[in-house]
Amino acid sequence: MRTKIRYVASAIGLSASLVLVGCAATAPEGGSGSAPSSIVIDTAFTLETGDPGRNYVPTGYMVSKALYETLLDFAGSDESTPIPGLASYEQNDDATVFTFTLADGRVFSDGTPITADDVVFSLNRVKGMTESKANFLMEGIEVKKVDDKTVELSTATPSLKLPALMTNPSLAILNSKLVIENGGTTDNSDAAEKFLNTTSAGSGPYVLDSLDFESQVVLTENEKYNGEEDIDFTRVVIRSVSESATQKMNLEGGDSQVAVDLSGDQVAGLGDGVNVFSTPSAQTIFLLLNQSADVAGVTANPEFASAVRYALDYPALLELAGAGSEQATGVIPPSFLGALTDGVEQDLAASKAALAASGYAGETITLEYPNDYPVGGVSFTPLAERVQSQLADAGITVELAPAPFTTQIDEYVNGREAFSIWFWGPDYADSANFLPFAAGAKVGLRAGWTAEQDPAVVDLAAAAENATSMDEREGAFSAFASALQEQGPFVPLIVPGSNIATADYIDGVAYNSTWTMDIAELQSK
Amino acid sequence: MAGYLLRRLGMSILLLFGVTIVTFTLANLVPGNPIVAALGEGAASNPATVEAYIEKHGLDQPLPVQYLNYLVNLFQGDMGVSLRTGQPVASDLAKAVPATIEVAIGAIIVSLAVGVALGALAAYRRGKMSDQVVRVVSLLGLSIPTFWMALVAFNIFFLQLGIAPGSGRLSPILAPPPTVTGLYTVDALLAGQWVTFMDAMAHLMLPVFVLSLFTIGLLTRFVRTSVLEVLDADYIRAGRAKGLTGPRMLFGYTLRGASLPILTIVGLAFGSLLSGTVLVEAVFAWPGLGSYAYNSATSLDLPGVMGVGLVVGVIYLGINFAVDILYGVLDPRVRLA
Repeated sequence: MRTKIRYVASAIGLSASLVLVGCAATAPEGGSGSAPSSIVIDTAFTLETGDPGRNYVPTGYMVSKALYETLLDFAGSDESTPIPGLASYEQNDDATVFTFTLADGRVFSDGTPITADDVVFSLNRVKGMTESKANFLMEGIEVKKVDDKTVELSTATPSLKLPALMTNPSLAILNSKLVIENGGTTDNSDAAEKFLNTTSAGSGPYVLDSLDFESQVVLTENEKYNGEEDIDFTRVVIRSVSESATQKMNLEGGDSQVAVDLSGDQVAGLGDGVNVFSTPSAQTIFLLLNQSADVAGVTANPEFASAVRYALDYPALLELAGAGSEQATGVIPPSFLGALTDGVEQDLAASKAALAASGYAGETITLEYPNDYPVGGVSFTPLAERVQSQLADAGITVELAPAPFTTQIDEYVNGREAFSIWFWGPDYADSANFLPFAAGAKVGLRAGWTAEQDPAVVDLAAAAENATSMDEREGAFSAFASALQEQGPFVPLIVPGSNIATADYIDGVAYNSTWTMDIAELQSK
Repeated sequence: MAGYLLRRLGMSILLLFGVTIVTFTLANLVPGNPIVAALGEGAASNPATVEAYIEKHGLDQPLPVQYLNYLVNLFQGDMGVSLRTGQPVASDLAKAVPATIEVAIGAIIVSLAVGVALGALAAYRRGKMSDQVVRVVSLLGLSIPTFWMALVAFNIFFLQLGIAPGSGRLSPILAPPPTVTGLYTVDALLAGQWVTFMDAMAHLMLPVFVLSLFTIGLLTRFVRTSVLEVLDADYIRAGRAKGLTGPRMLFGYTLRGASLPILTIVGLAFGSLLSGTVLVEAVFAWPGLGSYAYNSATSLDLPGVMGVGLVVGVIYLGINFAVDILYGVLDPRVRLA
């Protein structure tokens, strides 16, 4: 009898526990996290520091953008023209000297006024920390204080990309006094990272509440913020959710309000109660045909690149990319200065003629690509299979050779791939990011394309780099993109879409190629 | 017993040393350039950055020297700096390991309770309908892909029915409890944070359920076989002949007799749970050892990979050591072997 009573008591206890756990599941303290003043953003984390000067990864940029301000900014999704951030600017006629004047009355989150000393320290810190991944952004830029409100940046050669560079969150302006007190310097002896991983020292609309590199970052409102953003959400949780399927379910179930990494197919399947912001990203997926005789066989003949270029059915390839994606009209994606209006169209006769001129004799060409690294939701395996099929129709035999990204990238950057699929995205919002595709430049050399092989393209790249007016610059970049499209060893395929999904009461999403989205611009409808 | 303990301990230390050699060698044999993977293309093309990086991480040293440095640092509790998170691997793992242990302990408790009960039931009802049903259920537990099951369970219990919380260890509105053990449920209890405790328990439900399915299948089949063997033993027949039945027969004699092989399988299952949670952790955004291992491997974070390898090795060795000791306690003949 006593045994039976014990069993019954245990069963009641267990049931009560399950009911309590069930209650906790549906109603945690204060509701389910969707209170109007707070917001949860799910994204696949790329985060390795809270120090903006050392950051070079997407999630880090999104966080830095909310905590810190830069000299210049972009309005919404328009990345063509930098606008004033902490400062306005003027440039000389040669585009070698840029004078920045700080806005009046702006303060850091501890109330300290922002001065030219803070700007000089912050920029020189990135320039001096050669071990920082962001260090290259300050390459060739000299910083000089003019007065308490004015700073002069200068370069040896014309640099119309400099204003765009100054929007990059890695070049955020830090509270120099606070950072120096906590180990900050302007060389590799800098020891402020640990401090900046726990406390933000900026003037952005948010301050750092907590940061865990593997799970979540919590931001709260900066009560001293006196900039132009009018934030609606006073507490923001950015969570690490690597599976996009989980991001989708979290959003649909109300556990999060923003999902950053959904593919085109996933956003197409979203139901009511969700907004989707789809736009072309700034990534270009392309085929590379190596021009080095040492590395490649027939692909080294420029006619072979033309044969491939005109053999492909681009709209059919685009079917694999989903919402927001576009055909790549050149190496420069559509939102950037100098991007071409129209892409290549399939022309099987031109392909056939080029193939005959290339000396191709039916040999099998190996196509290499990373098979575990989708870009903007585009998986390279089905893309490679479709390229293989289309090239087979044009008389080119292709064998697929997939490999993990970490294995494949070494072959690619060292120029050891004859024929491969890769992608390229900007480090900052400017067309100068695509000049490395020139002969003799970084990406050009990965394709075995030396400066001697195409001096005309080298000249076009130099003209674009050294332009001193925007009109001149736009023309030069267009000419560069056109030349690459006609005679380069690259076949641009797809600009994948960026799809940001939100709860339906959220507005203000604007995609940016560097910081993905500005959290402070999110508004409650 | 002391000699037995020392022998087992010495063997474990030797094996641990072997684990460091294997993880270091394998990590450095992986094709690919960790510098490009760690710095990204932009930074990796900046010679000053690459040079500073190589110097900082000692990558310019020959491999044997790097290994010796690794061992020396390891003895000082330094497992290196993760190339991916930029943080000390030891501090990364100090957060990841408790997250996985928490879910693995939950899974092993559920597996033991359900697996032993079902296995014993099937053995006692050998050949009958309930035995057939249990065998089919256990086969399903073993054969359903865990990743798929995790997605299905999350969809049904969170999205459709709304009786389970979203992903992660805690609702976003709650702050983690003050760290004592790293197990949120335990730490919340220690801090007297009941709401946090209940929320952490709720978040444990689905990962524990999904993770335990495979182990339940494994244990059920194993317990069934073991109990059937014991049921055929002479001392059980004698007990039955004298009128022993019911729970006393089951718990007092049969399961006790089958406990050694069950202990072995529980030890192995716990080890595999700790190291095999990669996909479940990915679905539930659980920041544990599995997620850390996956992220480290895919980003060629060699210190991270070596750290995970070492921790998993230590856990396996620790479990084996504990199982060996329990063997010795439960069966004196083992100590003499």
